[in-house]
Amino acid sequence: MEPRVAIVGVGHAGFAPITAGLSYKELMFQAAERAYDDAGVDVRADVDSFVCCSEDFLEGTSIFDEYVPDQLGAVHRPVQTVAGDGLFGIVTGTMLIRSGVANVVVVEAHSKVSDVLTLGSIEHFALDPVWNRPLVPSVLAVAGLDMNAFLERTGLTEEHCALVAAKNRCNALDNPRAAYPADLSGDDVDDSAPLWWPLRELEVAGRADGCVVVVLAAEDRVRDLTEAPVWLLGAGWSSGSPTLESRTWGEADFVRRAAQRAYAMAGIRDPAEEIDLAEVDDTYAYKELQHVEALGLAEPADLGDLVQEGDLEPEGELPVNVSGGALAQGNLFEANGLARVLECVEQLRGEAGERQVEDVQVAVAQSWPGVPSTSAAVVVLGRDEGPS
Amino acid sequence: MGAGMTRFMRRAQETGKELAWEASRAALESCELTLDAVDAVCLTSAPDAFDGVHMKGEYLSDGAGAFGRPFIRTYVGGGSGVFTAIQGWYTVASGMADVVLVVAEEKMSSTQPHPQAAFLTIFDNVLERPLGPNLLWIFALEMNRYMSAYGLDKRDIAAVAVKNKRNAADHPAALLGRSDITVEDVLASETLAWPVQRLDVSPVSDGAVALVLASEEAAERITDRPVWIQGVGWNLDTAYWTNRDLVFPEYVRNAARAAYAMAGVTEPRKQIHIAEPYDPFDYKELHHLEGLMLFDPGTAPEAARDGVLNRDGDLPSCPSGGLLGVGNPIAAAGLMKVAELFWQLRGEAGARQVPGSPERGVAQAWGDLMQVGTVVVLGNEGGPPTTATRLPDSPTPPASTPGHPLTEAEFRGATGAVEDAVDARYAWDAGVAISRFLGGLREGRILGRECRGCERVLVPPRMFCERCFRGTDAWVEVEPTGVVQTFSICHVSWDMKPLETPEIPAVIAIDGSSGGFLHVLGEVDPQEVRVGMAVEAVWKPVAERTGSILDIAYFRPVRGGAP
Amino acid sequence: MIERIARPDEVRRWPGSIPVSHRYTPGVAGQAFLETLRDRGVILGSRCDRCRYTYVPARLFCERCFAELAADVEVGPAGVLRSFAIGFVGVEGEPLESPLTLGLVQLDGADACLLHLVLDHSDEPLEIGRRVEVVVKPAGERTGSILDIEGFRPVEG
Repeated sequence: MEPRVAIVGVGHAGFAPITAGLSYKELMFQAAERAYDDAGVDVRADVDSFVCCSEDFLEGTSIFDEYVPDQLGAVHRPVQTVAGDGLFGIVTGTMLIRSGVANVVVVEAHSKVSDVLTLGSIEHFALDPVWNRPLVPSVLAVAGLDMNAFLERTGLTEEHCALVAAKNRCNALDNPRAAYPADLSGDDVDDSAPLWWPLRELEVAGRADGCVVVVLAAEDRVRDLTEAPVWLLGAGWSSGSPTLESRTWGEADFVRRAAQRAYAMAGIRDPAEEIDLAEVDDTYAYKELQHVEALGLAEPADLGDLVQEGDLEPEGELPVNVSGGALAQGNLFEANGLARVLECVEQLRGEAGERQVEDVQVAVAQSWPGVPSTSAAVVVLGRDEGPS
Repeated sequence: MGAGMTRFMRRAQETGKELAWEASRAALESCELTLDAVDAVCLTSAPDAFDGVHMKGEYLSDGAGAFGRPFIRTYVGGGSGVFTAIQGWYTVASGMADVVLVVAEEKMSSTQPHPQAAFLTIFDNVLERPLGPNLLWIFALEMNRYMSAYGLDKRDIAAVAVKNKRNAADHPAALLGRSDITVEDVLASETLAWPVQRLDVSPVSDGAVALVLASEEAAERITDRPVWIQGVGWNLDTAYWTNRDLVFPEYVRNAARAAYAMAGVTEPRKQIHIAEPYDPFDYKELHHLEGLMLFDPGTAPEAARDGVLNRDGDLPSCPSGGLLGVGNPIAAAGLMKVAELFWQLRGEAGARQVPGSPERGVAQAWGDLMQVGTVVVLGNEGGPPTTATRLPDSPTPPASTPGHPLTEAEFRGATGAVEDAVDARYAWDAGVAISRFLGGLREGRILGRECRGCERVLVPPRMFCERCFRGTDAWVEVEPTGVVQTFSICHVSWDMKPLETPEIPAVIAIDGSSGGFLHVLGEVDPQEVRVGMAVEAVWKPVAERTGSILDIAYFRPVRGGAP
Repeated sequence: MIERIARPDEVRRWPGSIPVSHRYTPGVAGQAFLETLRDRGVILGSRCDRCRYTYVPARLFCERCFAELAADVEVGPAGVLRSFAIGFVGVEGEPLESPLTLGLVQLDGADACLLHLVLDHSDEPLEIGRRVEVVVKPAGERTGSILDIEGFRPVEG
């Protein structure tokens, strides 16, 4: 039987639009020091394997995996790089532990996007060079097309999306690490400029630097390391069609499949009932609603009411992105998923300060690497060990 | 369970997706599976700059069969191809999937003006790229260090290129198979970056390779002749490659130790029957055979000379033809090595089949800045031994290996081909350590950081000690002098344009530190340069200094210094 | 970390780029699609009978079942607008000279949606579900590019 896996330490650094005077290595070192301190591990003695998450063009370095070991204490250790969001790193770390090849694994993801001068051009470079790049001026167009198809299919409105953006910015007023907290209303968002209509300026997460490091351990090691483990009850990941032409528009089918796998592993039958808190991707405001639907937390027909009646707010029935999400913490690119995990861990440990939600037993974190990706990872985290 | 590949081509008509699909479909067909049977997909591909797509894992995913499935792309530079077999292994071994499709793709021909130019961007953004390094530099530097340390003869090293190109003549997917090549041909080929010559180097290529992996239970349903993954290991060394002695690949040994321990291999030279070490350059195969503990340090070249590594030798090495012969679409080339072991251990390698009854083999890849080792041990695990006499009906890969190679003219004239240049610009934050270091250079001083944990002075400086994992303690000014640890004489620029005057890149060990860095030598006849030569920094005039590694114009021999 | 940079004038940034360009082949199926578009002005898709799905543009393989496909189905020229977005900003967020509309159109006979510009819709607000048709450049001006299509134009019915 494969061992259970728990998160025994988290650390972060940055979470600001610009972290001037720190190299990406120094940013990573700060987050790693905190995570190892939190986990009480001696990294050079206790950690068996390292998983880093990065994409070359966001770093400006080809095969960026070269530059990760030193500042993490990973020299002469098994280290690999996952191209994609940090939550895929958590999935990978979980597999390493379950396979028996490692007992303690460090997962790292960061954004030093303030190093990038031409972010839009780089994101554009992710589009198909023959069919899409010559036509599509900005990847925001892809988000706009998907948002319009989503609104059409679900009957949700631009106002619902605007309320999500306002909720998340307000939530972050209680989050000391957030880069973009603001006391905004839905009308403020709705009045912001259309970028690629129906997508508006205040519905797009602003960029931020940051690094998150997570320490995972096999159940045999967990009790030695911490009194407050957060158990990884389920992990799922899935992809859809990468081609714009043949993908499913307006619906995150890949998130639905990822969630189904994660719930099956966690033994969750009724997610809306069993999950107390959700941290989901909200790179674009409509994405939060699309992802809540795909995670099986609400029916599309009910989503509008949930938003309008405040049920997704911290005091609501289903708190979503209490942290403020990417809209308020900043778009941390590969680190987005680990920022979701960080919030879930703090909430499950009861360490979330002013934004602590009462009695959180089970939380779900979900990520998506941004346009034009159709990949997603989902993890279910809990205070109790859950099914073996 | 199964393996498939495309031809390795200089320029493929196929898109990267199409290459991935061709290899994946061949792998599935080889074990009579369809895509429905696949539970998860593992993909690898090296720099995004080759295919020329940001987040290229996403872009390639449909070609690898990821639609509707769990899919992750991993990469560890040149070590990626073998690593993705490891990724497939842990995906199955974790119980998260029963049948996994493992795919490696690389399309290098997309990169203009020359794929080599993309390699500029693997070097350190602040301290190395301003020097305009060609990828060949690090290989030449390592090769020279290896040759000088053991007094090796270039002829013995060239024997590897000859062996592999001859072996590849029997490989239906090979780009550079040549049954008539000789050591003299290699030694007479153009010198690119001494001691590296044209025929010491594997060619840039396009191609893809795929494997099907299955759990023990699923394997029983699929085939009666499985080849087992017995051990895996991977290991990464420091990115501060100029602080290391390049003479031995310690990271490969670390990875091999892990893989052998898992496989129960205690005497590798006896228990390993075939090796597919990574051979982007001929000396690298030898270096890696030593890292794999199959030969003592410095002794692999004589084995090459004496035919020990030949297909009918005592330890057949790269019977596929390796990267030097089959081609080097980076990530795909690594996985090709695992595929070759699979075919060899099943006795299906046709004209490439090694004699005897090989029961265990090791595949290894290397990558990054002389940094990463990935190792997989495959074996028949005591199953019915394959025999050399039982040649299969259809050798694999089949002669009809998929692929649409294009000539240069066809590539330039292809209908619908699109040109694009990414506007990817950066302003990298140099951070605390490198900002201070650059400030020192402007003042004509070389600064290091002292770590009181391991009592080293680190140059280039960093605010953390990678060995102790702690903050470093204090700034130290070191001497602007040092010793040539290794050097090369390079005749091409970073993007492969010929140079009128050759450059002399060198790793300089800085006096008073445990470190050193990459720079160039000047005021010296290339023929006079020696490993161990004492050198000193020649600073640009104060007014021309900007706080840059180029504030040191070059290093020159210390007058009256040690030869 | 013991020491930080505390003076703004000591923050040091180093400029750089990825100094390569690329030449992309359209691939085996893509070349067939583009040659036909150039020579005949028609849109080719690929039918996967097993998955009952018709791809546009034509593809070499079915991403759902991995069957080998050919560029063998003519689709369109009319179809249904499945989504659209109106752009006001360009690649780095700079304002566009005039707004631009991109549409996803499921051409008659296809399952996939072709992505292209939506032309001349300023008279009436665009709606998802609208019938549109492909506008192709005149024969002499086509080079074998997705830009041989000018875009989609709303039609009656």
